[in-house]
Amino acid sequence: MVRAVPTWLRIAAWCFVLLTGLLLLAPLVVVVGVSVSESQFIVFPPQGFSLRWYEKALSTPAFLDAFWLSLGLATLVTATATVIGGAAAIGLSRGRQGSQLETFFLSPLVLPSIIFAIGLLMLWSTLFGTTSFYVLWLAHTVIALPYVIRTTLAVLAERDPYVNEAARTMGAGRLQRLLLVTLPQCIPGLAAGAFFAFNISFDEAVLSLFLRNPNLTTLPVQIYGQLEFSPDPTVAAVSTVMIMITLVLMVLLERLMGLNRFASG
Amino acid sequence: MSDLKLTNIVKAFGKTQVLRDINLTIRSGEFVSLLGASGCGKTTLLRIVAGLETVSAGKVEIDGVDVTDLSPEKRDIAMMFQSYALLPHMTVRENVRFPLRMRKQGTREEQYECVNAALEAVQLSHLADRMPRQLSGGQQQRVALARAIVSNPKVLLLDEPLSNLDARLREDMQVELIEIHRRIGLTTLFVTHDQDEALSLSDRVVLMNGGVIEQEAPPREIYETPATAYASSFLGAANLIPATVSDGVARLADGQTIAVPAGSPKGSVTLVLRQENVEIAEGGELTANVVTRVYLGSRNRYILELACQRISVVAPASLTFEPGMEVRLRVGADRVRILPG
Amino acid sequence: MTDRRETWLLLIPGLALLVLGFVLPIGRMLVLSVQDANGYSLEHFVRFFQDSYYPLVLWRTVYLSAVITFFCLLIGFPLTYIMAHSTPRVRLWLIIMVILPLMTSVVVRTFGWMVLLNRSGLLSTALRDLGLGGRSFQLMHTEAAIVLGMVQVLLPFMVLSLLGVLLRHDPRLEEAARTMGCSFLQTIRTVVLPLALPGIVAGSILVFTLSASSFVTPSLLGGARLEVLAGSIYKNVTQTLDWNFAAAQAVILFAGIALLLIPYLRLGARGHG
Repeated sequence: MVRAVPTWLRIAAWCFVLLTGLLLLAPLVVVVGVSVSESQFIVFPPQGFSLRWYEKALSTPAFLDAFWLSLGLATLVTATATVIGGAAAIGLSRGRQGSQLETFFLSPLVLPSIIFAIGLLMLWSTLFGTTSFYVLWLAHTVIALPYVIRTTLAVLAERDPYVNEAARTMGAGRLQRLLLVTLPQCIPGLAAGAFFAFNISFDEAVLSLFLRNPNLTTLPVQIYGQLEFSPDPTVAAVSTVMIMITLVLMVLLERLMGLNRFASG
Repeated sequence: MSDLKLTNIVKAFGKTQVLRDINLTIRSGEFVSLLGASGCGKTTLLRIVAGLETVSAGKVEIDGVDVTDLSPEKRDIAMMFQSYALLPHMTVRENVRFPLRMRKQGTREEQYECVNAALEAVQLSHLADRMPRQLSGGQQQRVALARAIVSNPKVLLLDEPLSNLDARLREDMQVELIEIHRRIGLTTLFVTHDQDEALSLSDRVVLMNGGVIEQEAPPREIYETPATAYASSFLGAANLIPATVSDGVARLADGQTIAVPAGSPKGSVTLVLRQENVEIAEGGELTANVVTRVYLGSRNRYILELACQRISVVAPASLTFEPGMEVRLRVGADRVRILPG
Repeated sequence: MTDRRETWLLLIPGLALLVLGFVLPIGRMLVLSVQDANGYSLEHFVRFFQDSYYPLVLWRTVYLSAVITFFCLLIGFPLTYIMAHSTPRVRLWLIIMVILPLMTSVVVRTFGWMVLLNRSGLLSTALRDLGLGGRSFQLMHTEAAIVLGMVQVLLPFMVLSLLGVLLRHDPRLEEAARTMGCSFLQTIRTVVLPLALPGIVAGSILVFTLSASSFVTPSLLGGARLEVLAGSIYKNVTQTLDWNFAAAQAVILFAGIALLLIPYLRLGARGHG
């Protein structure tokens, strides 16, 4: 008789998973804990319970400005990344240009963003003298684009290839096929990609740090600045808000379409 | 309802010749099947009529109008696909309405009326507001059929539409296709590799082989009098036996003889013996040895060795012959088909 | 309008974006790295390697990245194996557990580590209680801190790389090995590992390049004294404003990464079923 898995191994496996879970999630739990602590020192486990740090964060102009900047930027990035990425994905799914072009489009996923950051800063400063919102928008769109392309390509790969031909035999012209047949089929992929794009842009730190100037400070950059010098639990409150936004996005994403399929891609 | 005329159609993909000089005319309202094995070119020919493939040479005319260079959108056709190809994000009703929208036929109200009529014709009115993914395979195919007939196309093209259905559904759908064709009478071109399907549905069967038309004839004629060895073996399980004919007698390889009708080809011939036309009976003209018996429930199928060749014969289960036994075969002279060569 | 033209019309905005935001910046960076006050020269590269400080930074970056990759593999492989062999329901939760940190901002995660690792943090206190450090010992500003923080950041990448490969292979291969007498661990060694090798290589390359290019976590957790290459670049760009030198360092980093990424992208193109 072949035994499946010995019991000791099964128990060991679960302990291992628990420890790994701890490793992965502990920092996040800690941040949330600190944010509700009464003490003005950063300690964990938290002492007491208080929401004063959230009040303080809401009344600090630096954080508020950074928040609105990040929000506006992420929204614009989502719009451009979804449109450009969606179009690119449709073009790539025609499959006529080979996988090299696809690899090129997806390369920002694996290339460290510091590579773009330096080059972008140097290029734009030389041309325009200073960094601006538009450079940051461009930079964020570049790294968000592959997410939209990947999710949309995955959805397009599953469709019936004869639907387009059927539409032709039904009298649909080129533009009609694009708008009435191809685009609606892309929507789940575009929506998932949009969520990723928003999240990526909102949380992005490296590009934003390189491209910052006093008027162009995103929320992660603001947090980084505080961490370098004098963190107090206000930072924890702001960070917790960021975690909550991520959680909401993830739940919405799971609701709209399973996370599973994008994880094993 | 329109004529379809194909003249000197040649098609090559790169160096591969897929269609070599096809000439075919389909009269208005006719139901014609393109029958053949994979790779014979039947699907390519259908797609050429649809406009989804270009021709290397030749002409396609619908109702006397040369449509060879027209894209599918501009030809007044409708097509059914093996995978149904329904628009996944639209309801059944909107799917069926789509061709009317695209061809701008009638007002919105009129379009919906046509849709209702088409859905009733395929008995799917109750599912009009469902999405394709909520339907079974058979239901999806019926939606595809409704969608194909709703715009009253000049030519209806069907690309093995029943291949994905299980046996019972296939038979039901075949009946439906026959009834709809009887009622509406669209000029129809139907591609299939299944000879039973072709025989039961068509006014005319076009058998294709290697890019040419092997034979075209009404179902009965092509089944009972296949013109070539290929046609014989493709249509119905037939045994092909070489023999020599002289003086009204066909001599097999081992010397056995059977009488043949006057006027049969002489010299080297091929005898075509259908399984169901050979009877295992005392007093038969030929002798053969049983090699294998295959139990089929109500019947037995026997593999026999006749004149150094294996043939297949079917007999009722009441008769049982064991391997090694010698049996006698009765072959009616009027049941043997003799092909030259 | 033909099919071809429509396809290119769809691709052009994306291509333009990537050229503007990716190709041209890298070109600019390359040019800057070989420019100095008088024209073109390699003096920045020479300076990098002749200085006593910078080669040490490079070595530290490589060495830490290797250690991080090793631990990611050590933890990631068993975790992915367990995920691949769980029921779909459990697997979904594990995937969420892995993806959630990935989707939070790196500054937030690093902040969490700072709290855990500083003098009064849980981990430092625990180690002191275990007698593994002096009275004012803290894990902050040590190499261990960098490794710990980076492993948490990069482990999900390793898991996702491995998951695709492990999910794809046939579980019956393992069963067959077991029926032939292999113990559980032997099966892993002789059947699973060789089949998972493409995923292991791909994941390792990915983790290595990402950790070699990181600066947020190493700077915050390692401090000024444990500088890594990316941190040095950041400093040269934003503080000392020595852009030519920063560009040279970036080229060195980029060259090292390109060397590893080209086989990775080749693998990826084949490995994506």
